[in-house]
This record gives sequence, structure tokens and C-alpha cells, in this order.
Amino acid sequence: MREIPLDISLSDNEKDEVKRLLGRAPSPVELQLFDVLWSEHCSYKSSKPTLKEYLPTSGPTVLQGPEEDAGILHFTEWQGVKYGIVIAHESHNHPSQILPVEGAATGIGGVVRDVICMGGELIGVLDPLRFGDPEGPNGARSRRIAQGVVKGIAQYGNALGVPNLGGDLFFDRSFDSNCLVNVVALGLVEADRVVPSAVPRNRKEPYVFILVGKPTDSSGFGGATMASKDLEEEGAESKGAVQVPDPFLKRVLNVALAELFDTAHRRRIPIGCKDLGAGGISCMASEIAERGGVGVEIDLDLVPLAEEIPPHVAAVAETQERYGLAIPESFVDDVLALFNEQYDLPSIYRGAQAKVVGRFTEVEQLRILWKGDRVCDASVAAITTGAEAVRPEGPSPAPALERHHDFDGDLGEALMKMLGSSNGASAEPLFRSYDTEVMGNAVIRPGEADAAVILPVHGCPVGAAVTVDGNPWIGALDARLGGAHAMTEAARNLAAVGATPLGVTDCLNYGSPENPEVFRQFVEGVRGIREAADGIGLRDHPGSPIPVVSGNVSFYNQSDSENAVAPSPIICMVGTIVDVSQAVTLRLKQPGHALYLVGERYGELGGSLYHHVIHGDRGGKPPPVRYEEERAAIHLVSTWGEEGLLSAAHDISRGGLLAALAEMGAAEAPHPIGATIKIDDFGQDLSIAERLFTESGGFLIEVGPGEEERFRREAGEAGVPLFRIGEATSERRIRIRLGDETIVDLECESIRRVLDEGLAALFTGV
Amino acid sequence: MERGGDVAVIQFPGVNCEFETARAIRGLGLRAEVVRWNLVDGLLDRFAGFILPGGFSYQDRVRAGAIASREPIVDLIARAGKEKRPILGICNGAQILVEAGLIPGNRNEVEVALAPNRSDHRIGYYCNWIRVRVEPGPSFLSRWLDEREILPLPIAHAEGRFVSAHDGLMDGLLRSGQIPLRYVDGNGEPVDEPPYCPNGSVHGAAALSNDAGNVVAMMPHPERASYLHQLPDLLAGCWGDRKTALRTGEPGELFEAGPGARVLTAFCNAVKEVVS
Repeated sequence: MREIPLDISLSDNEKDEVKRLLGRAPSPVELQLFDVLWSEHCSYKSSKPTLKEYLPTSGPTVLQGPEEDAGILHFTEWQGVKYGIVIAHESHNHPSQILPVEGAATGIGGVVRDVICMGGELIGVLDPLRFGDPEGPNGARSRRIAQGVVKGIAQYGNALGVPNLGGDLFFDRSFDSNCLVNVVALGLVEADRVVPSAVPRNRKEPYVFILVGKPTDSSGFGGATMASKDLEEEGAESKGAVQVPDPFLKRVLNVALAELFDTAHRRRIPIGCKDLGAGGISCMASEIAERGGVGVEIDLDLVPLAEEIPPHVAAVAETQERYGLAIPESFVDDVLALFNEQYDLPSIYRGAQAKVVGRFTEVEQLRILWKGDRVCDASVAAITTGAEAVRPEGPSPAPALERHHDFDGDLGEALMKMLGSSNGASAEPLFRSYDTEVMGNAVIRPGEADAAVILPVHGCPVGAAVTVDGNPWIGALDARLGGAHAMTEAARNLAAVGATPLGVTDCLNYGSPENPEVFRQFVEGVRGIREAADGIGLRDHPGSPIPVVSGNVSFYNQSDSENAVAPSPIICMVGTIVDVSQAVTLRLKQPGHALYLVGERYGELGGSLYHHVIHGDRGGKPPPVRYEEERAAIHLVSTWGEEGLLSAAHDISRGGLLAALAEMGAAEAPHPIGATIKIDDFGQDLSIAERLFTESGGFLIEVGPGEEERFRREAGEAGVPLFRIGEATSERRIRIRLGDETIVDLECESIRRVLDEGLAALFTGV
Repeated sequence: MERGGDVAVIQFPGVNCEFETARAIRGLGLRAEVVRWNLVDGLLDRFAGFILPGGFSYQDRVRAGAIASREPIVDLIARAGKEKRPILGICNGAQILVEAGLIPGNRNEVEVALAPNRSDHRIGYYCNWIRVRVEPGPSFLSRWLDEREILPLPIAHAEGRFVSAHDGLMDGLLRSGQIPLRYVDGNGEPVDEPPYCPNGSVHGAAALSNDAGNVVAMMPHPERASYLHQLPDLLAGCWGDRKTALRTGEPGELFEAGPGARVLTAFCNAVKEVVS
């Protein structure tokens, strides 16, 4: 047997606490188990109190809050069936920094299990990505990591057969030694067919524990611990803690599991299912037992192994592509036959199988047997209770001050420089490496609009819209605004396609919580999310905040020698659109249509793309979120979109109004189209650069004739600033006029080329 | 699951388009069943037509389609092919048919291959919408679709370049009309270079058939273009107009037939002929 020593990071106090809980000294297996369970990654020991205090987790759109692997939002009802959307969010930051392809791939592999094990049909994945500066001092490494991550996402997602619904992308020096690779998975589930992550309580016979999937090995041993401390610079010794992905086996497992869930539902056999993630077999079995009010006894000698490994590894290793099932004895033969004979796992993948490896017991203990010895005997309550760490919150720094830069260069050149930069360019070269079409549910693909839209229920016109957002530059300037803007921009993106929010899943990425300044950033980010959840609210349920139904906290995003990443709360927001035939894309549609700016401009260039590209710094004060104005504008635009009144819409974010217009005009179009706008009528006390490039919230919309009177009236009633700034033209040019002067005049095809080429050299395919 | 369907959609381990393919066939009025690769008993008695759907059978081990092409169920499908029953391989299914020697199928050996995409600026897997033109020939596609009809369809593959080591074989297929679908440029003319031909396929071949025309291997995914809602935003021509018209139509029109349904209807018509 390979020697693999215990890998323990528990503090002395925590070791004493383990001893107190057990009433004796822990065995090596127990010590290893508590080490994993009480890691930051598993226990949320630093973040739990803050999340509980601030985040709204229930409400009229919630079917299930954050108590299990994923949350469930109420999507729609169709032909008498109530459908939910299952959403989960994970981070795979450290593994992706060390082994980008495998790290990113297993990120998808892990998060999709959270959706599948709840009985959901997987319908999409998204990837918020943050990489180091590709042109900076660590550029070569940052580029290699970015390429590897995209390859990993493509290889895993494409083979698994799940459509990629987009994501977002930022490059910044603060991610040089710690990239962020977050992953969202979405599923569709019928509300009465949710599979519990619990041994069913309405059981009439004994239940056994079936492990199904890949044989257990030492890969991923120490993964949770790795995610719970600073990343070592080279990270070579951590490579073994990165799991090995296998989308092929996962695809077959998912298809077979869906058949199992279907059979169990038809035969009314209550079962439980949970994926194996951090903490491996022990953690999964304890949780499913504890939630069912039982205990579990696992015989490690029965666990299929790919290699001989010691019990403390077998018990907690994070080997990928495994699920655990709670199955009544009378159903066991059918379940084993389904996996081992019908889907023939042992023949298509070496060592893969379904096997009974334990049983659930009335004694509420986790007992693990190995070669006849009881190597673990701890109460499941003690195991699942988790640790808590009180972290001091540092004092608030002085707010960033407004910083003015005079700009007297050529505005068109500035725009092109911004759009050609790695943070302004089109992500098209990435999307072309991802399967956006599989399953046949596509309506709006990544890049066609501010959010992706799919039709998950065949025959039903109700669409699901989804977006991910988070701006680390704003987070770095103001931690609370980082959270607030992520929420607000996500809501704007949904509104721009004509959708309205149901809820969110978040991923909160920060440095070490042991550093009071970092911990303050985290708490402030959560407060910002709460503030925006209330401030924007659910359009169709006045007074209800946008709920957060699942999420993830990733701390220790820093290496030994360098500072923490820019505070990065990332939001994935899911919404509905009642009839997708009205869904709005961003490309300009019809010459002669009017263009309206929704939302006033303010002189607040801090954290903008303009500042980064043109002046090479983060700038000063970032835009606040003006909730009254934002809420009214978001609700109004989503209503207009839903009613089919918008020909095109784009939210104003990275690059400001001018970038939004350029992207709308430069989109590939079936006939010649461009735009001319005039910037005299809004932001009159602002400089030209501020009017064009500020990232104050807002929209740019294209409107057909006949609706303009109504638009003006409704905007006036709602208190939303609305400016008619120009129109779409039949010439392939973008023109900006001030008074009688044309201050920008660019060919759409040149803009297109610049947008396309910005990332083309970095992402050349997988 | 329905029993006794007319069309079997074969589920090799690792394919991932089987369910939407079966759904699209059912939408066209035929019965379709997803059939696991190891369910060979009575296969030929139960089904008139066969679809090998897209995905990554056996993880593309060795070469895409190579392992699946050695499965016993493929021998049965080859027999059905000899009996002139319609067989459609889509993407990975096309790769399996090629690896099984069923396309073009004259010599009982592997004659053509699906080589890695060739493109100036990119390598590997590529997912996008392209356009193909229907060419005259013996296949059920050529028979049931309009000659020179142009269809926008999505592709998603890393190995989609039809090539042959046999001199003149691809030229011969072109002459005999066994290239029923060719990638075309903005003017509707066949091309074999990117970007309009996404993989550099010889003669811009997007599909090949056997000489009898009942076995077709195609790289584009018709099942992903079976309903109007699936069409992308920027299509020119009549399909773009139909997508745009959804905004003023009834919600149910979202699920009306798209260009891929034209392809699958041709397959279904061929199946109905066999049945009757």
C-alpha cells in the first residue's frame, strides 16, 4: 500500500474540541474526517454567521432555500405540472491555478452533481472567470492558465452534453497568482419529483448505502483543505489534491440516475441521493443520515478502490464522478442491475460500478469499519454540526475620492482601444469552443444579448434567462458596492432581454478571513448584496427581496507572497420571460428606429473600463447604486421587453454608453445598419468623456415608431430619466454628434474587427 | 418510454444528443425510441429506421467513433443498411458510420475519414451556425429536399473534415451526387475553406451518402434546428425572416418546424416508404 500520511490543518483548540465531542482521543480516520469537515471550505466557519444575518433566502419565488446541495426557484407551471429551476454555484479557484484544465473541468463536474442529485435535469452551465493580467509581469502564466481553464470547461461541458449559457470574464493583476474559476449549474425539476439529500423519513424497511460511479482513489485527497488555505506559490505538492475529471463516465451515470429516479417515482419508492464532494464518502453518508434522523455504518472493505489506499484516505478522498444513494433493501437488486448490467458500468470504465457499501442504522452514529476494526465511531450530529470561527472585521477605510483626468484625445481612438483590450473585447472566441446548442433549448445564446435565454420545458413559451455578473474593479474600490453592483447589473441584464428575476446563487471570492481587512471586505460585500436584493426587489412581488437560494464562499484566494484578490462577489441571477418570442437581443434591428438612453449619466468614472485602459488606473469614486432610479428603470425596461415594445436593448456597463452603442451597432446583422446619436441633452454638466464612458447604471434601447409617446409617459410616471438620443441608420457607421460637430465617426466593421480580435490571439481554440 | 417505435435512436455510452433527436422525430409524427447500445435483441424486427446521434461515444477514445463502430449493434445496423432501410448518422454518429465502413460503403472497408478541422485561426472544437446547400443525388436528403435549397444549421465538432486516402474518391462522390449537403458562402456557392466551410472539408462536404442513398452521415445537427425558437438572431434570408416574424405571431409558433426539421422530415419520409 502507498504511504499517505494524515493531512491535518486543525488548530490545537479544534483538536481539543474533537476530543471533547468524542469523549476520547480521536482515531486517525476521525481526526482526518474532522479536519476536512471543519475546513473553511466545508464548514463555512468564518462566513456562516454573516450569511445568516444578511441574506434573504425565502420568498414567493423560492421552492427550496440553501439547505441542500442546490436551491430551487419556482419557474413556471405548464399543463398541470409545477417546474422548478435548480441552481448551484461553486468555485474551483486553487485547483485551476495549479492544473488549469483539470481544475476547471472538475469544477463543472462537481457543481453539476449538486443539481443532478436533487433530481434535476441539467440544462445549463455558466462560468464567471477572473484571470491575471495577460500583458502584466506574470502574463505568460496568466495566459496559460486562461487557455487551460477554457479548455477544461469545453472538454468537460461539451462531452457531458450540457449547453454553455455564458459567463463573464475579467483580467486583472490581482488575479495573477490566484485565478477565480467559478461555475454555475442550472437544472429543471418537477416540483414533486425533487430527490432529497436524506435517507427518507417515510421508510418502511431497512435502507442500505449504495455507492455508484468511479472507483475511489487518492485523487482529490486534501482538496477541501487546499481550498481553505493560502495557495502556495508553486503548488506542486498540491497537485494530488486536484481531482481527475471524467465527463464520459459522468454522462452515463447521469442518464442512468435519471432512469433510476424515474423508476422510483413511478413505483413510489422513497429514495435519497447525494453527490460525493468535499469530505468524500464519510461526509456524504453522515449528512444524508443526519437529515433522515438515522446513522450509517460503512464497510470500507466493500468500497471499490482503484488503488490500495489507507482508510483515512478512502474515507474522505474527493474522487470525482461518484454519487451515494439511500435505497430500501427490496429495491437494491433493481438498482444494482440498472447500473451494473443495463448501463454496464464495469465494462465501459475500469472499476466503475454500483455497490452496497454500508447500511443506515437507528443508532445515529457514523461508524466506519476497516479490516474488521471500527476506525470511526462518531455521532452524525457532531460531524454535521460544523465549526464556527469568530473573525474580527477591520475598520472601514476612507472612501475613494473622485479623481479627475482631463481627456483631450480622440474619442473614437479611445473607444477602439477600450474595445480591443482584453477586458473590453468580445468573448466570442471562447463561446465558439463551447457547445451552446446541445439539448435544443436555445433561444438567445451567449453574446447575442445581455443574458442567455432557453426554453427548458418543451412546448411551453416561458423562457429561463440567466446571467452572471461581478466587477472586481468596483469591489476593490468599495467592497459593499462590489456586492451591490453585481446584483444590480445582473438584474439589468435580465431586464434587457425582457426577463424579470426569480432569484440568485452567489459565489463570494476573497482572501484570508483571518485578515480583518479582508474579512471586512467579505461582510461588506454580503451587506451590498442584501442592500440590492431589497433595493431592486422582485417586480411582481412588491416588498419581496430577490432571494439568494444557494451559493458558495471561497476564502484564501491569495498566495503566500502576494496580496488577496480584488474582492469578488459574483452573482448568477435567474429570471423568467413569459413568452420568449418577445425576448430582446442587443443588435440594432431597423434603420429609422429611435434610440433612447434610459438612466441619467453621472461623473463617476472610478472602476470603469475607461479608467483602466486609457489612464491605467482604477480611478476614484465608483458609481453608487441609486436604488430608486435603478429599480424603476429595471422594472420598466423588463415590462417593455416582455410586451414586445423593444427592438433591441443593452445595459450600460463596461465601457459606458459609447461601448454599449458600439456593441449594438457592430453586431453581425443580416442587412446594413448603424447609428447616429447626439449627446447634448443629458449629463449636461459632465465632460464628454464622462458622458460617453461613465458606467452609471442604465440602458440603451431601440424602439419602433408608434410607441414613443407611451414610452415617454411611462418613464415620466415612473420617474425614470429617458432621453431620445438618436436613431438607427442604414449606413454601417457609428456617429456621435455634439451640437453641430461630429466627434466620433467609426465604421461598424472596424469596430467588429477590433472586438473580435481582442481575445482571438489568446483563445485560439481547444 | 414508448414501445415498438419506427425509429431507433441508438444510445452508445457517451453520446449526448439522443433525447432531443428522438423528440424531434416524434414531433414529425413518427414514433422514436432511445435504444441502449447493448439492447440488440429483436432490433431489426422492431425498427424501420435508425439514427446514430451526436456526442462523444466512448469518449472519442482512439478516434472519434472508432470504439462504437465495433459494437455488435453496428453489425445489425449495417444489415439494415443493406436492406435499404434509412440510416442517419449525425456528428459523432457520422463518425461512427465512417469508422464502420458504411460510408460510402462500396468496398466493405473504411474509405473516408473525418479528420481534424482545418482553419487558419483556430484549432479543435468549433460550435457555430453555418449554411449548407442541398445537392442532387441518390440520398433521401436529395430526394425529399428542394434542389439547391439552403439550410442554416449548427455544427459542433473538432473532427468534421471529410477526406479520403483513396485518390479521386471524394471527386467521384461529388460526381455521383453522394455529397448531398455542401457548406456554402454568403452567395450560396459551395466552399471548402473557413469561415463558411468550418472545417476545411473536401468539396465543402457537410454530408456523405452511400450509393443507394439510404445511409447518410452528416456533421451538422438538424435536431438543434428543428424549431423556430432555436434559430440564432442574425440569420439572413427566409429563415431569418421567420425567426423575426415570431415577435408578431402566436407563442405556439416557437415550436414550428425549423430548417433542421426539413432534414429530419426527409429521413422520416424515407422511413415511411420502408414501412409502407
